[in-house]
Amino acid sequence: MGKLLFSACLACLAAASLQAQIRISGSVLDEKGEAIPGAAVTVDGMPGTGAATDLDGSYGFEIPQTGQNRIVLVASAVGYESQRRRISEPQGSYGEDFVLRESQELLETVVVTATRTPKPLKDVPIITRVISAEEIARADVVHIGELLETELPGLEFSYSMDQQVSLNMQGFGGNSVLFLVDGERMAGETLDNIDYNRLNLDNVERVEIVKGAASSLYGSNAIGGVVNIITREPAEPWSVSMNTRYSTLGQKVGSISAGFRAGRLSGLTNAQYVQSDSISLKNDGDYSKVYGSWNYNVKQQLVYRPLDRLKITGKAGYYFRQRDASPDVKDNYRDFSGSLKAEYDFAESDNLTLGYAFDQYDKSNYMVAGSRDVREYSNVQHNVRALYTHSFGKSDNLVFGGDFMRDYLMSYQFSDGAKAQYTGDLFAQLDWSPTDRLNFVSGLRFDYFSDRNLFHASPKLGVMYKISNCSVRASYAGGFRAPTLKEMYMNFNMANIFMIYGNPDLEAEESHNFSLSAEYMTRRHNLTLTGYWNLVDNRITTAWSDALKGQLYTNMAPLQVAGFDLNFSAAYDFGLKYRISYTFTHEKIEKGQPMTSSTRPHSATVKIEYGKDWRTYGFDIALTGRVMSAVTADVYTSLTDYSQTEKQTYPGYTMWKLSIAQRIWHGIRLNAIIDNLFNYVPDYYYNNSPATVGTTLSLGLSLDFNEIFNNR
Amino acid sequence: MKRLFFLTFLALLPSCNGIFHGIYDSGEGELITEYGFLEYNPTDNSGTIYIDATDYTKWIYLDFSERTAVTAGMSEEEAPAEWDIAVHRYDVKTNGAAALETGMTGLELFMSSGAMPEGDYVSDEWTTEQIIVDMSGMMDGNIGYSESWYNRELSKWLKVDTGTMPPVYSMSQKVYAVKLADGTHLALKLSNYMDATGVKGFMTIDYVYPVEF
Repeated sequence: MGKLLFSACLACLAAASLQAQIRISGSVLDEKGEAIPGAAVTVDGMPGTGAATDLDGSYGFEIPQTGQNRIVLVASAVGYESQRRRISEPQGSYGEDFVLRESQELLETVVVTATRTPKPLKDVPIITRVISAEEIARADVVHIGELLETELPGLEFSYSMDQQVSLNMQGFGGNSVLFLVDGERMAGETLDNIDYNRLNLDNVERVEIVKGAASSLYGSNAIGGVVNIITREPAEPWSVSMNTRYSTLGQKVGSISAGFRAGRLSGLTNAQYVQSDSISLKNDGDYSKVYGSWNYNVKQQLVYRPLDRLKITGKAGYYFRQRDASPDVKDNYRDFSGSLKAEYDFAESDNLTLGYAFDQYDKSNYMVAGSRDVREYSNVQHNVRALYTHSFGKSDNLVFGGDFMRDYLMSYQFSDGAKAQYTGDLFAQLDWSPTDRLNFVSGLRFDYFSDRNLFHASPKLGVMYKISNCSVRASYAGGFRAPTLKEMYMNFNMANIFMIYGNPDLEAEESHNFSLSAEYMTRRHNLTLTGYWNLVDNRITTAWSDALKGQLYTNMAPLQVAGFDLNFSAAYDFGLKYRISYTFTHEKIEKGQPMTSSTRPHSATVKIEYGKDWRTYGFDIALTGRVMSAVTADVYTSLTDYSQTEKQTYPGYTMWKLSIAQRIWHGIRLNAIIDNLFNYVPDYYYNNSPATVGTTLSLGLSLDFNEIFNNR
Repeated sequence: MKRLFFLTFLALLPSCNGIFHGIYDSGEGELITEYGFLEYNPTDNSGTIYIDATDYTKWIYLDFSERTAVTAGMSEEEAPAEWDIAVHRYDVKTNGAAALETGMTGLELFMSSGAMPEGDYVSDEWTTEQIIVDMSGMMDGNIGYSESWYNRELSKWLKVDTGTMPPVYSMSQKVYAVKLADGTHLALKLSNYMDATGVKGFMTIDYVYPVEF
């Protein structure tokens, strides 16, 4: 009797468990209809489930039914693009056949900047340029500016007054290109540019660059483009790595990173030290030597997953830089930052992110006589944000969110104390694909700035159509930049030469960006052509005011920036890769405006790379070049009158770099870089000439102890 | 673990206007508001002068025997009856004296050398394009100058390199030996050209007068 009862119970249990299974089977084929053996079909978020295909490409597996609203199947195979498919309210059996396309190298990279949701590069409705961790490691550069100049044409970091670094990205300055770290803004600026030295490239997963306006997602400052630096999260139980670099020009770099992953907690610590000696230039110029400096940067990141659906990320950082501009007074720059972010998956299709970020950027003068460090500038930003993502249909997403920020600025350029204002915004974006070939993205954002009681709406509309190996993208995007506290309240005596006055009546800068691009891609080749036109109104600059007998922040008349980018890249299985990028920029500014154009019309970058990897040795040789055309600018002959100009030609130049990266055994990497290969030395050092004194050699050694000890 | 995150969160909740104010020296609390011959030690005849030379249209006349500092306009007529050297911004002129830059960087070392150094003491020269009184036209190439006497040797105490914008300042850190018109000797050194907040034009001068070995 007992036996019978037991058997009955077993039968019931078996029946119950049978009922609670979802069966998925089908095949994975390539585009020619041939089977792909060994392809994996898995369920997203359920490790250990799924199956590999047999020789005939068929597969089948079961998963328990636990009342899921939806499951996402992922079919993937080496050399092919992965495919995802959603099944809503799954129950019973499903026949799911996949046809995979040959993968197109980098296009599988998942990016976030263009839509604020993770998307593979090939599906992103706005052209996004990605610089991968591998490319960063090979470039062996110290900070973001050097990396961007090497990888992208049309981008120039030059000097402005007081040898402060100033960006020009295809006609847009440092305050029109928004730099983000994991989507967070950065506090502080000097002459309209953030401190690029803060952005070191240790533990960077990738850098995403979106050109053109993006204020519908990012608000103020995203007029000319967005550069988003994405930090790596450790995947190994432990990792320790060290990096050192020495250049014949007297630059020394040392850094150490340590990471761990233990159950639900992972952490990453990084410290970097950079020292650059001053460089005496060889010829006459706007400046005669490059000031020496040193800095260190400490970053800590902790990720904790208390629940499967909840991820909490905490970050803290400290940065210090000292610049030797004068023997009596050293310029000190400091930054304190911290953030806390929680990401929660409500269901498979809904995600909420809440975050708080703090960033404080200080400038002080260290007076050698008396050893006194007196602060002259402090920008403190508190930022609270929320982002909600709802995904539906095959691959559609609805994103909405908002930010609230307190912006505090204390500056030696103010005469009546520190200023603070609140900014808030709300935004929404729909990313919708009615068919596999067609994708629409539309977004709208409202920004509010308390000081001026300023409201601004930024729209975006984009469409992408795919035909076989080609994609065509067209978009309109609004950009804007609110006048900053500095621009509204400055009251500064510029070395007794003139006063610079802020203007509380400034209008926000506004831009309309139209872009059209075509992309052709095969497994090995990628060709992209993008044309764009920007109308920029109310650009903020300083202009001479006869009434005030000084410089006054003013809105300029509308100006236009148009051009096109051409990019061709190829990668072959035998180890050769190359990329040629060219950009043409035309800036049209009306005569008589306080600012004239000095953007170089033509620029190009070239990269030819060859590498091989064996078990215990690998190498990669890369030749990178940067070609900048000359530009003739109309320069005003007077500070106070904008009628007389004279022609000033800034000569073009090319810079080439040869780098040899070697992997020795496991985890030992040796980099040798010959910069300025053809020994270019400017006849006269203009502010926009490269600050080079000729060919330099730098040697770098990096050790990855995890790889060394685990022999991988 | 939760506690750790909570503590991290608390640490990240700083005051609205920032954190770590204490790591800086507050300039304004330490501003010196008295000017002139501030310190004098009769045992070794040494002292310190602190003057406000921020005004482009003023000379500050220093009388070392009376230890007085008088601020006056640009013309010669406005000078007081008795003075030894005068300072305009970073420019120096003397009342018939001659000066020599020594290789020494400290007044104590200078005094222990035992004698006024030998060398070509430099007298004042008449200049028309040295003493700047109006910078406002600088960007248009119209700097306003005042015609004046000027001591090129003493003015080496601060080098202003205007080849870059803004100019780069560097003090010579040297002691200057000065033979005054009345036959007495003076030794001085510029020890600072900024106030506690870093504003330039506030000159701190260490001196020994009369120099008696």
